[in-house]
Amino acid sequence: MSSETLGTGYHGKLLRVNLSTKEVSTEDLPKNLWEKFLGGRGLGAYFLTKEVAPDIVPLSTENKLIFMNGALSGTAIPGNNKICLTFKSPLTNSYSYSLCGGHFGPELKYAGYDGLIIEGKANSPVYLWINNDEIQIKDAQYIWGQLVPESEDRIRKELKGDAAIQIAVIGTAGEKLNKYACITSSYYREFGRGGGGTVMGSKNLKGIAIRGTKDVKYANFQLSLDLSEQLASNLRESPGGKIRRAYGTPELVEKINGNGFWITNNFQKGTFEDAAKLSGPQMRKNIVFGDSSCFACPIACGKRSSITLSNGQKMIMEGPEFETIGMLGSNCGISDWETLLKATKICDTNGFDTINAGACVSMVMEAYETEKLTLAQLDNLELKFGNKIALLQVLKLIAERKGIGDILAEGPKIASEKLGIPELAMHSKGQALAVYDPRGAKAMALTYATSQKGAHHMNATTMGFEINSGTRLKIKNKGLLQRNHQFSMCICDSIGICSTMRAGIPHLDQAKAFTAVTGIEVDETKLNLIAERIINMERMYNVQLGFSRKDDTLPKRFTEEPMPKGNGDGEGETVDLDALLDDFYIQMGWDKNGIPTKEKLKDLALLD
Amino acid sequence: MSQKVLVFEPTKCIGCRLCEQWCSLTHHHVSNPAKSCIKIIRDHHIQIDFATYCHQCNKPACIDACKFEALTKDDETGAIIINEDNCIGCRACIRECPFAAPSMHPSKKIVLICDLCGGDPECVKHCPEEAIQYTDVERADNLYRTIFVKEMAEKMIKEAK
Repeated sequence: MSSETLGTGYHGKLLRVNLSTKEVSTEDLPKNLWEKFLGGRGLGAYFLTKEVAPDIVPLSTENKLIFMNGALSGTAIPGNNKICLTFKSPLTNSYSYSLCGGHFGPELKYAGYDGLIIEGKANSPVYLWINNDEIQIKDAQYIWGQLVPESEDRIRKELKGDAAIQIAVIGTAGEKLNKYACITSSYYREFGRGGGGTVMGSKNLKGIAIRGTKDVKYANFQLSLDLSEQLASNLRESPGGKIRRAYGTPELVEKINGNGFWITNNFQKGTFEDAAKLSGPQMRKNIVFGDSSCFACPIACGKRSSITLSNGQKMIMEGPEFETIGMLGSNCGISDWETLLKATKICDTNGFDTINAGACVSMVMEAYETEKLTLAQLDNLELKFGNKIALLQVLKLIAERKGIGDILAEGPKIASEKLGIPELAMHSKGQALAVYDPRGAKAMALTYATSQKGAHHMNATTMGFEINSGTRLKIKNKGLLQRNHQFSMCICDSIGICSTMRAGIPHLDQAKAFTAVTGIEVDETKLNLIAERIINMERMYNVQLGFSRKDDTLPKRFTEEPMPKGNGDGEGETVDLDALLDDFYIQMGWDKNGIPTKEKLKDLALLD
Repeated sequence: MSQKVLVFEPTKCIGCRLCEQWCSLTHHHVSNPAKSCIKIIRDHHIQIDFATYCHQCNKPACIDACKFEALTKDDETGAIIINEDNCIGCRACIRECPFAAPSMHPSKKIVLICDLCGGDPECVKHCPEEAIQYTDVERADNLYRTIFVKEMAEKMIKEAK
């Protein structure tokens, strides 16, 4: 099929499947699109803006699932495994995207496609089978209602048990339209945030199975290989790479808790007394038996865990990741591995986001402890911080959408409004905050508040820099820091490498790799310009929906309640969000209301 | 020179599949795991990655199975060498290999078997975990013995507890 390839690195080919009409077609993705958007998140912005009107209802047939690989996906460049899904979110009613690692994206690339757009809605549950050029929409009624692992196993079994097939599915959460349902690949790799799985469920699409055996080619073969070797070695030798290799993302427990901004008891405090039990080294010692990599990644930050439960059964899984340890651990007052692994497993197997789930549970825990909700309102679950049994039971209720769980499955914003406790819901634009208390790392306030997809830490992971530079509690220059980090994340998300790779692959090398593989000339300046273009497109999608400064918010907990005494020197801190926003908007060339100016849009070639 | 062989340790493998990458890059100048002679398969239930790869058998079942004289054993390295003109893609070697190592080339319709990159395997060079090693037969077997003994010891300790 090489004769059909329009480019190197990328194929220049998009697969489009309409579930309503069962129509399957392919389209060219010519070079100029890659020059302008790089791929991945960038091409997602291009297609969502072009094809999905901002004012559609997220769970209507008009929404689309836009899966886009980066140009580097499936190549020899390390960590090239992130595929970006772009959609309008049912959780935030805004622009949204979500990135998944693992092996799913590269397999789509090897099947000959840079991207996949799914539109319409199937009459009854189906799954999609992409076997190189052969595309089938297959019946999935027999797996509707199954958990994530069972669904993947059954699809694989039907496809002759081929272990090389990569499969992504929704669990029961997506089917039941839990607003923060994931799409999960190989059991533990998720398009995690914003409810991509919910949109998939609304389309009656249970899964996507892919097998690809096509070539990915290089513009400059030898240079690409040299870079591959050099960058893999740089990554392995870098301090960031080494610590991730050893402990995975949970290495951050000591760092974030030690600096006193690890969310605890529904974000009330930044220091968890039992954090030492949950540290990366403790996890390694107590439950980790191996390390797991995504495609082409020499770091292996995934940790394989095994635990013998109190009932004698052995449980094996990948994870939990740092965010999960915080959201379901410190945030809910839990510090034992058995409960944490069980809780994670409920979320993973049913297919919903541990971050939003954790924020919903901690919210009702605080409400119960402060007598804002009664036992009767909580289905008689004594939801106190640290109640292990109640945590697991309420997660099951969320999975089943029963009782209080049915309300909590709507996400922190809607659930808190229904329960009359909006002040206890730790979200921005409807998306729960992750585990970094912005009172202890001020640029993270901007990360959460200005993200187009709601409070998402991966919008800009500034906390590491803020700790290392000793500027955590300062607000000076945080607008510029935020801008640079947003660009940096956007570049990784678009060229298709995991943002963890920044530990050993700076933008200079990312640009070199992109050019070596695709033949498209880019440098750092150009990459930053493209990132700025993409972020402004995402922003404008929301602006058309009426989003502006008034929506770039944080819960009052962070702007008004002083940080209690704890580790670090953050006691008494609050976030001056207005000052931060003023600075950030100036850095972005946006007006005081947070709206991109006409001049800015013209500069970015987004306006004639 | 004493014969060297490939040995793989599943407990070390992280499943990054860089070995597959480098196999296809070296032999075909493209990235395409389907053209790789080593293949990594992950079992999600027990969270282990396994590899299928050529073990350089002394009495190769693949050569015995081939009716078309397409396979020979390299005198120097012990690798199985394919004569592409003779191979008809009947897959008899795949069926007979005790380790499921050979696979079909996705477009040429002939088999793919490891040639040890002429004696300096790229998969070994690029494995970040030394999960696959190229080592002389005696050391390779000692490696297996060490793993075996270690596992037995762990089992005994566990049972004693």
